[in-house]
Parts: sequence; C-alpha cells; structure tokens
Amino acid sequence: MGLLSLLRKFKTAPDCELRILLLGLDNAGKTTLLKQLASEDITHITPTQGFNIKSVQSEGFKLNVWDIGGQRKIRPYWRNYFENTDVLLYVIDSGDRKRFEETGQELGEILSEEKLAGVPVLIFANKQDLFNAASASEIAEGLQLHTIRDRTWQIQACSATSGEGVKDGLDWVCKNIKRKS
Amino acid sequence: MLVNFLKMSLLNTFWTTLYIWLRPLVKWILRRTTRLCELQRICYGEEKGALRTLQIEYSLSNTRTPELKKAVHVLNNKAKDKTITQDIVYYAVFAIVRIKNINIKIHKRFPEMLGGCIMRIWGYRQMLSRLEDLRTTAYDSNNSEHEEKLLKLWSCLQPKITLEGRISKQWQEIGFQGNDPATDFRGMGMLGLENLLYFAETHPNAAQHVLLRSQHPVYGYSFAIVGINISHTAYMLAQEGLAKTHFYNSSKGFPDQNAFHQFFCYLFFEFDVLWRHEKPKDIMEFNHVKSKFEKNIRAKLKDPMALFKCHFVLENI
Repeated sequence: MGLLSLLRKFKTAPDCELRILLLGLDNAGKTTLLKQLASEDITHITPTQGFNIKSVQSEGFKLNVWDIGGQRKIRPYWRNYFENTDVLLYVIDSGDRKRFEETGQELGEILSEEKLAGVPVLIFANKQDLFNAASASEIAEGLQLHTIRDRTWQIQACSATSGEGVKDGLDWVCKNIKRKS
Repeated sequence: MLVNFLKMSLLNTFWTTLYIWLRPLVKWILRRTTRLCELQRICYGEEKGALRTLQIEYSLSNTRTPELKKAVHVLNNKAKDKTITQDIVYYAVFAIVRIKNINIKIHKRFPEMLGGCIMRIWGYRQMLSRLEDLRTTAYDSNNSEHEEKLLKLWSCLQPKITLEGRISKQWQEIGFQGNDPATDFRGMGMLGLENLLYFAETHPNAAQHVLLRSQHPVYGYSFAIVGINISHTAYMLAQEGLAKTHFYNSSKGFPDQNAFHQFFCYLFFEFDVLWRHEKPKDIMEFNHVKSKFEKNIRAKLKDPMALFKCHFVLENI
C-alpha cells in the first residue's frame, strides 16, 4: 500500500462506515449473499427469523450489512430498518418465475418509501447458476426498472453460492458512494 | 491489555507444551508405581459416562504406541464409513488388551469398561457422519419418501385439521414461510425435517404444546422455521464436540440418530421456554434470544455431568 492511499484512508476514516440494507422475498438468497460478502461458510444456511448483521471491509469502507428475513410475516418489519440507509440491495431468485410479480410489487413499495428516497439501489439477479434462471435483462424488463428515475440503480447478475458477480456488485456500491461524497 | 493477553496466552502455550512434552515421562512413572496402564487408571479412577469416556478418548487419540495408533485409525475409518458394530468394538478391546499386555483374568471388569467407552466414542463419530449424510440430502419434492415425511409432519402436529393440498397456505400455520415448505429446509436438508418429525411423532403432546405457544398473538414465532434454526444449533454443538458430555452420559450403547433427535427435542422445548420468559418485543429479537439460549446451553454442556432429559413439563399456553 502506498503512502498516499494510506493517507487517503485516514482522511476518509470518520465517514466511511456505510449502512447497507439487504431485502428480498424469502428464499431469494439474502443470507447466502451476506455470508459470501463476509467470506463465510455458506453450506449451513437456515431461513432467517428476524435479521442478521455483518460488517464487511471493502475498499476502505466499513459496510454494515443488514439482512432482514423475507418471509411475508416479517416484511412489515422491513420499514423499521429503512432509516439512514446508504445503499439498498434487493435480491431476486431468478429461477422463481412464479413470484416475479410478487417481488416486483415488494420492490415497488420499498422504492416509494419516503425514508428511502434517493437511496441507490442495486438489484441482484441471483441464482444465475440455475438452468431455468431468467437473465438480468429479462428481469430488468419484467420489473420495468427503466422507470426508476429518482435514484441511481443497477441490476447485477450473480450466483451467491459460487460468488460470481457478487464482487462486481460490491464494486458498484463503493463507486456510487464515492460519487455521492 | 493486549500485552497482558499475549503474556497469558504465551504462558498457556508454555504449560501445554511442557505437559505434552512431559506426559510420556509422567505416564511411565505412574505405570511403574501403580502397575496399571493409563487406560486402566482412567477406567478405575473415573466414574462411567462423560468423565471416563472423554479421558479415554484423549488418551487413545494421543497415543504414541504404533499398534494402538493403527487401531485408532481403523476405528476412525469404520466410523466414517458407518460400519462400526458390536463385533468391531470387541475386536478393538481384544487388540488393546493384547497390545497393553493386560491380564484379563485379574482385570475382569476392564474389557467391559473400555468397550463401553469405545462404543460411545466411535458411536458418536458414526452418528456425526450419519447426520452429515442426512443434512446434505436436500429436500426433494420428487422423492416420495421425502413427501410422505412432510405430510406426516402435518398430521402429527395438526391431527384434527386436514391439509387441503400439498401446496397450501396452511403450511404457514405450522410455521413454514410460504405455500411450499420444500425451500425452507435449506442447508439443514432432510435433517431439519427428520428432527421436526421425530419431535412431533415421539413427543406429540410437547410438540403440539410448543406449536400452540408459537401461535401466541404477542409472543408468537414460526414453529417450523425456528425448529430448523434449532436443528442447526444442535448440529453445530454436536460437530464441535461440545455436546459429547451429554451424549456420553446419556448413551448406554452406541449413540444413534434417535439420540440426536432427542437432543434436538430438548433444545427446541427449552428454547420455547426461554423465548416466553424473555418476553421479546417482536420476532426481530429472535437472534438476540437465540444467542442467549446458545450461551446457556454451551455453559451447561461444559459440565462433565451434563445430561439433558426430555421430561417435558407443559406450562400454560
């Protein structure tokens, strides 16, 4: 590490802690993604009752990632975690076509929340390893993501189990925060 | 503080190294003075159960005798292949008695004592590898055996209510996330389902009682999902070896799958008691209460006399 980057790191130290919110339907792969981000073992995942939180270091940022359960019963609690969110990660199971409509509705509701106004959103088209997975562009079209105009957004194809695409998503997060500050 | 910590850990490492280094000498002196080998001293000196078995396990795992090392290696492989039987235990005892040159005409009780320990030690390892097979078997909707077990779980938990279809909102009543439980077993696979089914089948009163309590309007939680999370806790405690105390104390012969299911039932029931006792504000407190629960259980398991009994006392719903 060069001296300059070291200095830069110190300079930005006080405000480099970010609050990242991880949402999506049950079985979308949120917890697997969280563990993948934290480089933890992903073979023993169980359905999330309540929430999980982990801190991940990336490019000088400390990302506090909040993974909230996606079960219908828990969704009403999502709003309790909206405040002070820096980036929203929304995870979609690309193989679960039957529930594309449901996940689109949930996303629409979240994006219309006042507390999340202007917060950048990254949509993970997860489970690309499944043979019947819809592609990222297919999902973007189905969910009419192009109509999002009040914030920066991005869709990223990924497979949380293999880790493919996860790093690219994380890079997008860090880049968009830098641009903001 | 850091310096102190370093000093402490260095000191610990020092004593451990010294102990490992001096162990053969200490053993030699004891063998000369007591005219008993270490295995005999443990068997005669410690009460049966976890105390004796854990020490036998330590002694056998750290043996320097080449023939004994070989015997341990064979037993390890047999446990991995799930082929440990009574005969193999007898054979192992016979081999150890020969290697250690023990006169069983004088030490009549020793073979039985050692055999009991070997059964527990390698039976436990065999159980772990059976559990791993179950856990890595994903729930498969095309497998009729899996489907039958799932439907049986419903009928055991809700004997008076008919399930209207395999895909149904009703699954949420027993705490699955959506209309199809198939995706809820995740990383616990069939182990999660078999744990729940055992609880519902073997302890129907307790299971239905816990289910009713999980449906409480204020202190409710998702029965099946929490159960699968408790499966994970039980599995981790067994894998780490912390649960050995309980299994070594409770098993008369080989610890088997049912012993693990019983362990799960105890944990699930105890979790429910703690959850209600904690009066959580809502389900978002789950991980907080669960880590407290795990801490309690870990502390209990550290006691070599640990023994969890499934004598369920049903309180108010």
